[in-house]
Amino acid sequence: MAHDHGHNAPPSDTAMRAKALETLLTEKGLLDPAAIDALVETYETRVGPRNGARVVARAWTDSDYKARLLEDGTGAIAELGFSGVQGEDMVVVENTDDVHNLVTCTLCSCYPWPTLGLPPIWFKSAPYRARSVIDPRGVLREFGVELSEDVEVRVWDSNAELRYLVLPQRPAGTEGMSEDELAGLVTRDSMIGTGLAQAPAG
Amino acid sequence: MNGIHDMGGMQCMGPIVREENEPRFHEEWEGRVFGMFFTNFAEGHFNVDMFRHAIERMGPAEYLETSYYEHWLHVYETVLVERGILTQAEIDEKIASLRQAGD
Amino acid sequence: MPTLTPEMVPGLVAAGASCRMDAEVAPKFKVGDTVRARDINPLSHTRLPRYIRGRTGRIVHDHGVFAFPDTSAESGTHSDPQHVYSVRFEGSELWGSHANANSCVYIDLFDDYIDPA
Repeated sequence: MAHDHGHNAPPSDTAMRAKALETLLTEKGLLDPAAIDALVETYETRVGPRNGARVVARAWTDSDYKARLLEDGTGAIAELGFSGVQGEDMVVVENTDDVHNLVTCTLCSCYPWPTLGLPPIWFKSAPYRARSVIDPRGVLREFGVELSEDVEVRVWDSNAELRYLVLPQRPAGTEGMSEDELAGLVTRDSMIGTGLAQAPAG
Repeated sequence: MNGIHDMGGMQCMGPIVREENEPRFHEEWEGRVFGMFFTNFAEGHFNVDMFRHAIERMGPAEYLETSYYEHWLHVYETVLVERGILTQAEIDEKIASLRQAGD
Repeated sequence: MPTLTPEMVPGLVAAGASCRMDAEVAPKFKVGDTVRARDINPLSHTRLPRYIRGRTGRIVHDHGVFAFPDTSAESGTHSDPQHVYSVRFEGSELWGSHANANSCVYIDLFDDYIDPA
């Protein structure tokens, strides 16, 4: 069989195991490899934190939308065209001067795919899952977020089928910025709660 | 089950290692394994709860030492054999023949 | 079931597969109730983490009716519909004197994970 990759390293045992399963299921008519191509393409190019940033920027600029978003996350997010796998039932939690929210999944890796894409490795890692609930302030510090003790830290453990998105605080000095410009300030981590939205340049 | 996956509150796991500009998939096989969740789910081979439980049943050392998508691969190898969709012998033979063809 | 084709992918991705169930199930608890998480230790699947078991929290929201994962993992299909609540646990209740100041955990608990406290 010809090598279909441009590099010379032999495939790993894991790659071989994956290939064996895909081949066997394809031979049995239980898998269409083109469907996997389409899924990979979808999650590599169409689903990611830019989607969530659009939701946040809309909430920052449209108070009616924000009210709907906090009341019915799934419905309000779907208004912008984002829905589906691992975002079927969404809850949006708002950061304020008094409350900071942090999302985790201690049991596995639950994460709101339609708005944030697939989770980064650190979110799925043992250190984050273990520590996020017992020492959230320490975790935040590790991410460079220092909060005063006056700010309540709420950790959301996504153990059931609800998926959580943090609505970060709108940075100061962004009055008059367009929705598109604002979306550019919304980082992935600010929607997980391990970061804050960026301050505007200049 | 009281497995290694149930990590909330455990200590001494070390720092949280982050990667700048992390790709969605680090290796081509990760994307294939990711996609197989959907194809297997659509075939009715498992639901999300069975999927998670199959990961939880991994040995604790293996769980900690293997990557995220290796956990997913483990699910398919376990559940598809348990449900009689594939046999272990079939899988082993296919791996051997792919390896031979690749030499 | 038909094998997933590329044409089916966009529809599946956009629709997902919610575990919400359209079943008439009366809630056993209401917002404001104080509840204690059960001390269960099944060998089978559960989504009640150890650090919550036996601890007392307060219900802040009723999310509605969902399939119960502990049962669905065994049956292979959405089973045993029941209410899921957002329950708030104070940091001190979970971690005693080692808790972070002014911190809490919100977690989603099914009727079968909790008792009145």
